Amino acid sequence: MAVNRTKVTTPTEAGKYLSNCPSPLVADTSVVINLIATGFASSIIGALPQPFVVVDVVPSELAIGRGRGRMDFEQFDELVNGGIVKVFNLGHIGMQHFEGLVIGAAAETLDDGEAATIACAIEQSGVAYIDERKAWRICSERYPALRVGCTVDLLTHADVRAQLSDETVADAIFNALQRGRMSVLPTHFSAVVSLIGAERAALCESLPRSIRVSAQKPAV
Amino acid sequence: MTTPIDQILPAETGERLRLARESAKMTQAAAAQAIGVARTTIVAMEQGERRARTSELQQLAKLYGTSVNAVLRRESVHVDLAPRFRRMVGSDEAAAEAAELMADLAKAEVELENLLGIKRERNYPPERTILPGDVKAQAEQDAAELRQRLGLGIGPVTNIVTLLEMELGVRVYIRRVDGRISGVFAYDDALGACILLNANHPRERRNNSGGHETGHLISTRRQPEILHLDEIENSREERYANAFARAFLTPARAVLQKFQEVTAGADRMTRRHVIILAYFFGVSREAMVRRLEELGSVKLGTWDWFVANGGITDEQARQVLGDLIFPDAEKADADRPTTLRLNLLAYEAHRRGLMSEGQLARLLHLDRVELREILGSQPHEGDDADGGREILE
Repeated sequence: MAVNRTKVTTPTEAGKYLSNCPSPLVADTSVVINLIATGFASSIIGALPQPFVVVDVVPSELAIGRGRGRMDFEQFDELVNGGIVKVFNLGHIGMQHFEGLVIGAAAETLDDGEAATIACAIEQSGVAYIDERKAWRICSERYPALRVGCTVDLLTHADVRAQLSDETVADAIFNALQRGRMSVLPTHFSAVVSLIGAERAALCESLPRSIRVSAQKPAV
Repeated sequence: MTTPIDQILPAETGERLRLARESAKMTQAAAAQAIGVARTTIVAMEQGERRARTSELQQLAKLYGTSVNAVLRRESVHVDLAPRFRRMVGSDEAAAEAAELMADLAKAEVELENLLGIKRERNYPPERTILPGDVKAQAEQDAAELRQRLGLGIGPVTNIVTLLEMELGVRVYIRRVDGRISGVFAYDDALGACILLNANHPRERRNNSGGHETGHLISTRRQPEILHLDEIENSREERYANAFARAFLTPARAVLQKFQEVTAGADRMTRRHVIILAYFFGVSREAMVRRLEELGSVKLGTWDWFVANGGITDEQARQVLGDLIFPDAEKADADRPTTLRLNLLAYEAHRRGLMSEGQLARLLHLDRVELREILGSQPHEGDDADGGREILE
C-alpha cells in the first residue's frame, strides 16, 4: 500500500527538512543503538526540534543485546523514563502497512522493528530514521512520499550542532562509529571525515578502507 | 481486499506458529494466557482453522522471542528439529541447547543459500539398515564400503570434517558446547544431514565423534542423535556407530601394518609408539590403544595399564611430535560469534540488499553491533581487498 503525500525525499536529503517539519522523528533500533553509542543521546535528542519516538518493537530488539552484556536497553529505558523518547504502538493503518512490510519474499520484507518504524512514520506523518540500505530502497519503491533519514542526519542537524558544539558532535560521531559500528552513507563520507578529522577517521573500521586511507593523504 | 497474510495458506501459517511456539518451549495454554485469548483460539490458529490477525501475530512472535517476519517470510526455513531433540533428551538442557544451536546454524545457512541461489551438493552414502546379527561386522563392512567409495584405500582420515563437508555434502559445525556433549546428528529433508562437533574437545576426539555420527548417517539417518562423552553403549545403534567410527578412522589392515612398522624390533608397546600411531590416524591415544586391543595386537587392558601408570600426557606427545603438532584452527573459528561460512553468506545477502540488518541479526541470533562487526570485517566495496576478477559462470 503506497501513500502519496508531500514532497518526494531521498534519505540523504532528509536532514535538511528536519527544522521545518513538526512531524515526529520515528527511529529504528539501528539508529537508537548509534545514538546511545554516541554517549550524548539525551543531549542530541533533546536538541532536535521534533518529538522523537520509537515503536514498541524497538525496546524488545534492544533487549536482545542484554544477554551479551550490552547496556543499550537500560540506557534507552532512562531516555523513556526521562520523557526524552516516546514509545508508540501501531494503530490500525500502521498495522496494515506493517503487515505489507513483514510478510512476503525475504528480499522485499524487513524485520519487525524496521517495518514498524516505517509503518509508524507513515501513520504519524513523520520521518523514518533507519540506517539500512534495504529499508531505504523499499521505502523509495513503495512509499516514495515518505521522508527517510539516517543517524548522521540527526547528528549533523543544525540545532544539534548549535546546542552541542562541533567538537562534541565530532566526538559523538566518532563514538557512534567506534562503539556502535555505525554505517555511513557514501554521500555522508566527506561530511563525517571533515567533522571528526582524518586521524580519527583512520581508526574507524566501519568506514571503508579507501575513505580511511584517503582521509590521511595530504591534500595536494 | 486481499492482504499479504491472506496469500499464505492458513494451515501453513498455523504450522509455522506451532514450530515457533515449540521452539520457545511454550504450551498452547501459556501462549493463550499471555496474549489474552482462549487456548482453543491458539489451537484453531495452529491448525489453520482460524486466521491470525496481524496484532496477534505480533504478540505471539514477541512472546516466542522471534519476529513476524522471521516466522512468515517466504524463504524462512521451518523444521521441527529442536522440538524433536527436546522430546528425545528430556531434561538434559545442555543436550537440548547443543541441538538447538545446530538447528539454528543449519536453518540460517539453508535460508541464506536459497536466497543467494547456492545449491549444496548432497553426495550421501546409501543407507544401510542394521540387520540382525553381528553389529560390529556390519559396521566394519559399511566403513570399508564408504572408504572404497571415497577412494581412501586404507590411508588415514586426518580431517573428517573436510571429508564430510567436501566429499559428502554434510553440514558440519564445530562450536563450543557443554563438555559432556561430543556430537549431535540430525537429518531433515530441508536441511540435509547436519553434524555438530564440540570445539571444547581436542581435535582427535572430534574426529572420533565425527566418525560416530557418520555411522548414524549410514545406519539410522532419520533418527536424531546426541553423543555424550564416554557414553555407555546401550543399544545396537550405538554399538554400530562406535564400531563404524573405529573401522572408518582406523581400518584394521592399516592399523596392523602401521603398528608393525612403528614397533619394529621392539618387545613392548611404549607411550612413544601410541603417540605416533594416534597422530598418524588422527585419533585419541585412548582410541588408538583400544583399537589395538580389539585387533589383538596388544593385550586387553593395555589402555587401563597406561592409565594406572600415569597415563600418556599432552606434554609427552609434545616431546615426541614437536613441530608436527599444529594449532587447532577450528577452535579459533568456534570462538567467533558465528561460523566463517555464515559470515560470508550474511555479508553477501546484505551487500546484495536481500536481507536487512534486522533480519540478519535475528536469523543469526546476534546483537546488532556483533552483526555490524561481522559485516564490517568483510572488505567494503571499493577497498583494495575487495578488488578482484569476475567469476565465470
